[in-house]
Amino acid sequence: MKCNRIVLWSLLLSLGTLISVSSAQQPPSATPASIEAVQVIGLTGVKQNSKGNLKVENGSLTFAFSKSTCEVPAASIQDVVTGTDSQRVIGGTVGTLSRLAPYGGGTALSLLRSKVDIITIQYRDPNGGLHGAIFTMPVGKAEFIKEALLAQGAHTSIRSQAKSNSNSPLQSEAMEQTK
Amino acid sequence: MKTIKRAAVLLTLVTGLSAAPLLPAQPSPVVKPPAAAIEVEMIQPGEINLPAEFQVALYENLVQELQKKGGFSQVYRDGDRNAADVSDLVILHTRVIGFKQGSELKRDVTTVGGATSITIRCQFTDKEGKVLLERDITGKVRLIGDNLKATDDFAKKAATVAQETFSSDSTSSDSKKSGYKNVT
Repeated sequence: MKCNRIVLWSLLLSLGTLISVSSAQQPPSATPASIEAVQVIGLTGVKQNSKGNLKVENGSLTFAFSKSTCEVPAASIQDVVTGTDSQRVIGGTVGTLSRLAPYGGGTALSLLRSKVDIITIQYRDPNGGLHGAIFTMPVGKAEFIKEALLAQGAHTSIRSQAKSNSNSPLQSEAMEQTK
Repeated sequence: MKTIKRAAVLLTLVTGLSAAPLLPAQPSPVVKPPAAAIEVEMIQPGEINLPAEFQVALYENLVQELQKKGGFSQVYRDGDRNAADVSDLVILHTRVIGFKQGSELKRDVTTVGGATSITIRCQFTDKEGKVLLERDITGKVRLIGDNLKATDDFAKKAATVAQETFSSDSTSSDSKKSGYKNVT
């Protein structure tokens, strides 16, 4: 009987240790995997509307595109803001040319739209010069990036969704902007 | 007869030589003092509820257009410490005074409605804060393109104004295209 209790206690102890170790080894929620994104404008040396992967790691926001990467230190980011928009499913030149489709086909195509998240950052280069950059990404991803950046030293003029007590992030952003 | 011929040749030579230095002098344009550099300050939303992406797109497009065709040897960003040492520096202050966010979908469907427009007061000053030029410039997207295209339109017009005013290689014919108005 006594032996059973000892075994039980030792099992419980080892289980507790395992749980604490595994939770310590878990990557912090502030470092999500890379997210497919489009750099609309702003990053030095990156063409407008370049597709790539965005991730936050080692204290930097990294945008990887066509065999090259661009890094922005999180600590140099003085504002991160998220938003939403919609864009044509068929964009670019094809999307523009589709307007010429007969029998209102272009109009019908333009109704096919997808929602996107927008993340806008403002950061300083080593000389103190102010830069801005805009990224679009699938819905629901911008908050992850924002949270990760804030955890690694970035600043924001608008509180993050998790810390905000308001009903929706869009409402809170709108309120902050009007202040 | 020979004397008349010689006199005619001499006269032609003399008039030709005396007119030669006048020829290039006539079309020489009035040379404006070119500003060495410009510092672009971040767009101020003022009392307008401007989305952050519009603010940043306006600023970035403005910097890019001034680098491309502003006529300045150097374009500095807001807060760049290197600008402090430049003597002949023009500073561009901008404030949003009007903003109407249209809809790309509406533009696509109706082709007449849903235009996006942004009006910005651009103030060019010297280092001491003396106003050199003040203009209201409007960027628009009426038919094709997303809403942010209005920021590109504004930047192109603003760069044209800067080129006309501060660059030595400016031409007055561009002024009609730029679509701005003076602020009194």
